[in-house]
Amino acid sequence: MKRRDFLVKSSAAGVSLVALSACNGAGSGGEEVVTATSDGNAGGPGVAGTPGLAKPAMPEWGGPSPFQHGVASGDPLARQVILWTRITAEGLDEVPVIVRVSRDPEFSDVVYEGMGYARSQADYTVKIDAMLPEANTTWFYQFESLGYFSAIGRTKTTAHGHQSVEHLRLAVMACANYSYGFFNAYRKVAFRRDLDAVLFLGDYIYEYGPGEYGDPEVEALRPLDPPHEIVTLSDYRRRYALNRTDQDLQECHRQHPFICVWDDHEFADNTWSDGAANHNEGEGDFGDRKRAAVQAYYEWMPIRPVLPDREVRIYRSFEFGQLASLMMLDTRLIGRDQQTDSPVTARDRNRSLLGDDQQSWLFEQLEHSQSRGAQWHLLGQQVMLAPLTLGALPDTPNLDLGGGAQVNYDQWDGYETSRRALLGRIEAMGLDNAVVLTGDIHSSWAMDVSLDPGNWFAYNRFTGEGSIAVEFVTPAVSSPGAPTKGISDLAKAFLIPANPHIKWLDFYHRGYMILDVTPERCQADWFHLETVSEPSNQEHFAMGWYTASGDNHIQASKVPCAPKHNAPPLAPEHNVQQEALA
Amino acid sequence: MSNDRRAFLRQLLIGGASVSALAACGGQGGSEGGEDLPDDPPKVNPGPDEPPVESGGVKGTESMSFIAIGDMGTGNIGQYHVAEAMRQIIEAQGCDFVLGAGDNIYEDGVTSVDDNGFLDSFEYPYQNLDVPFYMCLGNHDCASTIFGGGSDNQRGDYQVDYHYSDKRYSTKWRMPARFYKESFGKLTQEKPFLDLFVVDSNPLTSFYIDFDERFNWKNYGYPQQLWMKEAVNESEAHWKIAMSHVPYLSNGKHGNAGNLDEGMRVIFSNPDADGQRYKLFLEEAFSSKIDMLVTGHDHSLQWIKPVESMGPAHIIVSGAGGKSDKFQDPERNPTHYQAENELGFVWVHLTEERMLLEFYLVNEDTGEFRLGYSREETKPVQEVAVPTPA
Repeated sequence: MKRRDFLVKSSAAGVSLVALSACNGAGSGGEEVVTATSDGNAGGPGVAGTPGLAKPAMPEWGGPSPFQHGVASGDPLARQVILWTRITAEGLDEVPVIVRVSRDPEFSDVVYEGMGYARSQADYTVKIDAMLPEANTTWFYQFESLGYFSAIGRTKTTAHGHQSVEHLRLAVMACANYSYGFFNAYRKVAFRRDLDAVLFLGDYIYEYGPGEYGDPEVEALRPLDPPHEIVTLSDYRRRYALNRTDQDLQECHRQHPFICVWDDHEFADNTWSDGAANHNEGEGDFGDRKRAAVQAYYEWMPIRPVLPDREVRIYRSFEFGQLASLMMLDTRLIGRDQQTDSPVTARDRNRSLLGDDQQSWLFEQLEHSQSRGAQWHLLGQQVMLAPLTLGALPDTPNLDLGGGAQVNYDQWDGYETSRRALLGRIEAMGLDNAVVLTGDIHSSWAMDVSLDPGNWFAYNRFTGEGSIAVEFVTPAVSSPGAPTKGISDLAKAFLIPANPHIKWLDFYHRGYMILDVTPERCQADWFHLETVSEPSNQEHFAMGWYTASGDNHIQASKVPCAPKHNAPPLAPEHNVQQEALA
Repeated sequence: MSNDRRAFLRQLLIGGASVSALAACGGQGGSEGGEDLPDDPPKVNPGPDEPPVESGGVKGTESMSFIAIGDMGTGNIGQYHVAEAMRQIIEAQGCDFVLGAGDNIYEDGVTSVDDNGFLDSFEYPYQNLDVPFYMCLGNHDCASTIFGGGSDNQRGDYQVDYHYSDKRYSTKWRMPARFYKESFGKLTQEKPFLDLFVVDSNPLTSFYIDFDERFNWKNYGYPQQLWMKEAVNESEAHWKIAMSHVPYLSNGKHGNAGNLDEGMRVIFSNPDADGQRYKLFLEEAFSSKIDMLVTGHDHSLQWIKPVESMGPAHIIVSGAGGKSDKFQDPERNPTHYQAENELGFVWVHLTEERMLLEFYLVNEDTGEFRLGYSREETKPVQEVAVPTPA
């Protein structure tokens, strides 16, 4: 399709798209979904630069560049992607913002132009759901407002569900505590040219005030804003804004589309659907706090907007061609019953981690993914699915016993009924190649997932036979694991024999995971950082674990996967031609 | 049993009445078997003496009646007394077919298509009834001990085979497959009056593990679930009724799916005995799609009020066709009506808009019976007008 044709089409489609949006929810099943933003921004008509359509009237602005928090993209579909920025221009409201998307970083081949407004109701954030002409393609985008251009962003649409994809590479990240360390992990990921997307599995911000949960030396260099625990809408907005002033994080967002879900610290420590461990009555109604946190999340994260009453539902799915389906879950907020510390309650048949609606949705998605013939079924979620015990024993559901002494009931271990339902479904479906991706726990783990790992008849700890899925856990960007490597090794030496399905773990290092997917295998490569106490670009490959197609158990790899050939260039910060013209 | 005796009995029981009985019944559509095990005999039409009956003709079906019984196959006097009460109700009020909600042949099913169990627990007790019986497998039909542990699912195949046998004693027994769909009547030319969906619940919930891998969840449970979902979704019938042996909800000792046999479970070996996966099976296949769910397993009569997780469907437990038992927790699920410690059955009358249920209680020793409860309701699932494409 020629550029002009596409622009015209997107202009003409504008009205109906906006009309459609009223009845659409979060994207699911990889379908193309167009939704209205809560503040009325909509991806749609090309405006500026299209002949016949006037540029919006820009307010007067004599200040510095309003693009203080960078640009971001996210929730890529085959023909759509969310583009995000924020306008910082004191005294102005309803600021028109134009975005252009091009095939090249020089913007010589613009395929989409759209407009949104930065409004106070949305903390001056702008989201545009750009309609793009091609799937599985890298795009460059740039915002313009108040006489300034933003930095150039780079993003990528996913392949259509029916398209064949040979190679998919995703960065998997979680747990970025601003005052516990520098965001070196974001910088390392930013410069990886060959990623299709970054999965962020939650704890993008932390709610704590100064001195509550941070490294004092780092905190001295990176003071928290607001300087107290965040509770109100304004607090949550300020904390997101603080994180987004970090240049490493800005760079990571600028180069890659993000697919994000929240965990507890986007609200408060150990959140469940109606409360949190780190919430007390003095902090007001938890419902108000939750609403504030959800609103700020939608404003600041490049997640696809939905109508406000649907915002609490962030579970959604993506398709990367025939190669993989990705189901992003909310194990934290929408359906979670309160945590317990009792192994008996943990097996209560009425307790749920996902809630009935999300569980039904997940099972439908798994069925859809299997029936459409996707090679891999990826589940991006927060808390560890495989059990973590102090001595695995056979599971005996009829006695309401088993699994050994579990240590963290905030994980799926505290919601045995939900885990049995999910694993029982995977087993019944005969679903091969389910890969669970997990964050939350500030450490690196590679595990087989068995219905009953402590039972020698159900799971062979030497061959992996009896495993029905695999789980890879990504370490934190900056939040702490074990205080020393020695303690980490000690814990590892104790836990691995007690948990035969856990093949590898590292409690000490921060870093990230690269998930490398081909039709033959799915491998997680762990990259660990030398330090987060100071800015550093030193990292090392720690370990790789892969599962061969059809195996459903993991094997070690001493070498990381090779990068993609012919990866597109990173986005330059500025458009050289544009600068020359200015 | 000698062949002569068998032939004699067959003559005696068929007695020329059965064929005409079929004509009286509201009509039988094509049945769809849900299962295709390789060892099964070919599933041909059930014999030349059963021509498919066109019902309704030009005029659509205006109403249908059926009786739901369950856990009936004892061969004891109680079963005969319930049968006699059924006969009188059928004579007085009409009945197009009977639903048999499983445990058709106590205590451990049958081991061949020639097994005496078919005679003792079915043909003799119901010899005076001339209506087809649509049967469902129960745990005792798939068990090799009197305990009914359900670990011998293969035995259920003989009950399917009997449907196709030309040596059976009457044409009443209908079980075209272990799980199946059957259409009845016609509301309009394209639209059946009623579709019946029959679940084989024992492999999904048995007390003990069946080591025959054909019947595990992967090879049997999940494929059945997919089949059932599709069958219900594709059904155009006005009324949709599902039948299964193990309850979805019950106030008896077996209890609610998801937490079945709470007190007994400690001696069971099958991790699925609590019915967690079975519960989701029923909800995914039937929730908000069917009007009524008929089950047995607990030996009592219960009319449980609709619950959100199953949508507007009314939930009937009719498991007192041959055995009776007390409730474990009569408050567990809210009911319109429930009766314990007595035999009985449920008579159902459906019109296009209404359903009338009558619960009959039968004295096990004397055979005296009485109407225990009667209630009329509007059709639970309302037709949604299909929007015409713009």
